[in-house]
Amino acid sequence: MQHLDPDRLVLLALSEETAETDESVHLAQCPGCRTEIDDLRHVAELGAETQGLRSLPPPPERVWAGIEAAVTAPVRRLPQRRQRRWALPVLAAAAAAVLAIAGTVVVQQFTDRARPSEVTAKASLGRLGGAPAAAEGAAEVIGGTRLRLDVRNLPLTTGYYEVWLIDPDDTTKMMAMGNLSGSALSGAADVVLPLPPGADLNRYRLVDVSAEAYDGDAAHSGKSLLRGMLTN
Amino acid sequence: MNPDDELAEHFRAGDEHALRLAYDRYGGAVLYLGVRLLGNRADAEDVTQTTFVAAWQGRDTFDPQRGGMLGWLLGIARRKAVDRLRSAAREERVAATVRAQPAADEESPERVLDRLVVADELAQLPAEQRRSLELAFYDDLTHPQIAALTGLPLGTVKSHIRRGMANLRRRWEVDGAASGSRSAGPTRAL
Repeated sequence: MQHLDPDRLVLLALSEETAETDESVHLAQCPGCRTEIDDLRHVAELGAETQGLRSLPPPPERVWAGIEAAVTAPVRRLPQRRQRRWALPVLAAAAAAVLAIAGTVVVQQFTDRARPSEVTAKASLGRLGGAPAAAEGAAEVIGGTRLRLDVRNLPLTTGYYEVWLIDPDDTTKMMAMGNLSGSALSGAADVVLPLPPGADLNRYRLVDVSAEAYDGDAAHSGKSLLRGMLTN
Repeated sequence: MNPDDELAEHFRAGDEHALRLAYDRYGGAVLYLGVRLLGNRADAEDVTQTTFVAAWQGRDTFDPQRGGMLGWLLGIARRKAVDRLRSAAREERVAATVRAQPAADEESPERVLDRLVVADELAQLPAEQRRSLELAFYDDLTHPQIAALTGLPLGTVKSHIRRGMANLRRRWEVDGAASGSRSAGPTRAL
């Protein structure tokens, strides 16, 4: 008997018709036709299983935030700053100055509160390598003057978390925005940090949360836990 | 050039916009594979993320001669998911916990992957071909029933189904889970 006709193979593969005796005999003897019908049967089975797979829901946006943050060139560690001998007296003076400024900050916060609390940019923060799978967060720029961070499931740390704004086009350029403390040490925090007036958020638009040690080194540790790109 | 090939080309060339487009186009399928293999969403999202990051970083290794992007991405995702399952199994053994595993899905990763590839191809077939196959697959209708339902001549239905099946098969051969091992020989473990 000659090989089975392609239309006939499809009908048999879809179990629409059953093989005649001579067809069964041929299939048993002809590896070519057997491969054909086996492949078609398999494809028909797979096809029957595809119902509901046509419009799969997209992954949540935090997955994209993680991808985007991770493919941005990794932060290179800044050169270590040399500790200066006169640092201590200067720090003491600075501490006094901080006390003086603290009063101003309180006033500033009161004035801020009066401003419209409009969100001008936001980012969902995706986890990077070192962070637990459930770590996530979100950042919002409020009224162009404050950065609100809501982070969850950060690992417990003996150090602290620092918040940075990084220039994604040159990841050696970054600004430290302040740290997450208190509740962050138990893995979650919702804080508002003041943004330096004049900070260019179009350039420094990559929000980064890093794990820092109490080692007196002001530079980024290179251990980023969460990242996300601010978008308007 | 079809849109998928064009996307793959831009992706390989390092166009970041293409990464987002690839994510929009294939992210749902990668996530679905992850959920099916790992059984939980958090791990699946994680695998989706690492898959796209690895794909981007390894975009030079994508060879369009060997198949499409969906098959390539799903292959990466399958390896990531299987690695994760293995390391989870190791941890389990170390901890020697006896707690019951969540009802194991007996389905093989290859099967889930093949199904996603076939679903993607089905979605891209010309409308009449697709409709005829859907009626055969999902509603188990015969050729004459499909002809009656769609108003198409029986001969047309026949050729739609034959061509549609041939398209699905070709795509499955190129992008399916066994595509890598196929070159090793004519036999294939299904």
